[in-house]
Amino acid sequence: MTATSRIVAPLAGALTGLALLLALSFSVRGSVKQATDRLVTPDAEKPKVAIADHAEVPYCTPRFKQVLERVLHSCGLSGGESRRGCKPADVKSFASISDEDFNELFLPLKERGGVVLFDTAKDELDDEAKKLLVDRWTDRRGARYFFVVARASKTGSPDKNRALSHRRANSIFFHLKEIAKDPEIDKKVGLLWLGNEFAQLSKEYCSWPNSRAGKKCDDESINRSAFVSWVDCRL
Amino acid sequence: MFGPNSRIPATVSVVASALGLVFATNSTLDYAAHLDRRLHDLHCSFVPGAGPTDAAEACRTAMYSPYAAFFRDRYWGGIPISSFALGAFTFFAAFGLYLLIAGERAPRRAVSFFAAVGITPLVVSLVMATISATQLGSFCKTCVGIYISSFLLAVGVLLGLASAKRGSGEGYDRPLGSWLVPVAFVITLGAAALVPAAVYASSVPDHRPYLDKCGTLKKDPTAADALLAMTGARPVKAALFFEDPLCPTCKAFHQRLRAEGVLERLDTKLAMFPLDSECNWMLSSAMHPGACVVSRAVICGNERARQVLEWAYDEQEELAKAGKAGVPLLKARIEKRWGAELARCVDGNEAKQTLNKHLHFAADNAVEVSTPQVFLGKQRICDADTDMGLRYTLKELAPELVP
Repeated sequence: MTATSRIVAPLAGALTGLALLLALSFSVRGSVKQATDRLVTPDAEKPKVAIADHAEVPYCTPRFKQVLERVLHSCGLSGGESRRGCKPADVKSFASISDEDFNELFLPLKERGGVVLFDTAKDELDDEAKKLLVDRWTDRRGARYFFVVARASKTGSPDKNRALSHRRANSIFFHLKEIAKDPEIDKKVGLLWLGNEFAQLSKEYCSWPNSRAGKKCDDESINRSAFVSWVDCRL
Repeated sequence: MFGPNSRIPATVSVVASALGLVFATNSTLDYAAHLDRRLHDLHCSFVPGAGPTDAAEACRTAMYSPYAAFFRDRYWGGIPISSFALGAFTFFAAFGLYLLIAGERAPRRAVSFFAAVGITPLVVSLVMATISATQLGSFCKTCVGIYISSFLLAVGVLLGLASAKRGSGEGYDRPLGSWLVPVAFVITLGAAALVPAAVYASSVPDHRPYLDKCGTLKKDPTAADALLAMTGARPVKAALFFEDPLCPTCKAFHQRLRAEGVLERLDTKLAMFPLDSECNWMLSSAMHPGACVVSRAVICGNERARQVLEWAYDEQEELAKAGKAGVPLLKARIEKRWGAELARCVDGNEAKQTLNKHLHFAADNAVEVSTPQVFLGKQRICDADTDMGLRYTLKELAPELVP
């Protein structure tokens, strides 16, 4: 075996090994360097990620949201104020909307909500009313706010009816408090009482889901009521 | 089988080392690419040189696992084991080439040394394959490529040793060689194995500025009484998870936390966040059909919630199939495992409302519509830090969690 042949094999192995090691090390370093460059100079356009939020459905028109937003701000729902609810005069002034237009805003909530009916001059909830409230309250889905719009029929003075619709709204609110056991319920439930002064319902609303299905319903009795519904709008 | 002059064993060794080198290079470069905290396709094929693909779940599972790298609490992502394999296979390729050229002139001690160290990749591969089977539940194709290369290398070196022994005493004058030769080779092998890893370690970027840049929780989870409690055995830190029982990433994350021993050190509040439009209004279509039903099963588990969740993860593939096939099939599986009472609860109003509260908790906190999402205290852990960089991130943000 010549000295040359003794050297060629180990030299070839060593040089190959060194060359490979160098090439791989450069490759590794280059790859890490590229990643570092991408890290310190992020893409100008980041892929958009959806953010969890409450529901927003097509009936949330700008007009509808405007009215609801005013309810939120004016009726003590958004700021944790001690005052709760809106009386007819408030609604008239902040909503700046006609009776018909006001009611029309709620038309899309026909199937989502329900009408709790009361006896004449009463504010007590009967069993069917309680059941309807539980059904509607537990079907929250992605809604953030629950609205109660209480009314009174035309019979009687405006002052008495205003007070009566207020009591009806409160009856519902107290019952919701009882069933929900939610410490934050004040921030969820919006109360409006309209007495017999604003946005009275017509007989057509008798066909809406209500707590006295199958019983006699007319222009008078449909207003001895409170409409309740979750509202699937981001406000 | 082979005569003492045969060059076949050395050729097998060189080819096996080259193959191992290709797989180890792919694996190391894939690992390095993820240092930018983004998602990339992976090389995940038995075919050396095949391009990266997004259908690489098993390779991703392996890459994100605690077994893929060393020093994971010192460097973000750690130093990949494959970088050590790079250096080692380089050495074996070079040594194989030397034996191929030297033929019968190669000293016996060199051949014996090669046989001794040439089987070490096979030993390491056996260990890693066992971990894959028992801990990860899947085999990554690139890893299997390295196992096969290691096996071929072992075959090559042992054949080389056998043919060299057969040659001795039959008139061949293969020299014995100096005893210093193996010592020098061992040192060279060690150095070669360390070089790529050292290069990698010296260039890893500093991730600390990015760890706390993914937002904080708006609402206190301890005030949300509807959330589930999943307290570990030795809790030292409050945490909040948003999880979907049919989400494979959640499953992998849960397994990583368990493997790291972190889960037992967390006082976890669990918010179910099923990516299923049946109950989750934030999606227009179901990403994981049936996830709402399984989430309600977890909720119905009450104090067994963690067991139900872990069962759902263990059976995830089957449950996902059942979810796609229809809710009755899914409920039947739940009833079979957890009994009629829990199955009834899944359909009950209370479970539906609780799940709804979990989803509203997510909306109130404006978290991203993705799972899993992890908060340590109120600090959100970035998605990028829940896998490769998990241990490093925990060490930086909550060192008390890292055993």
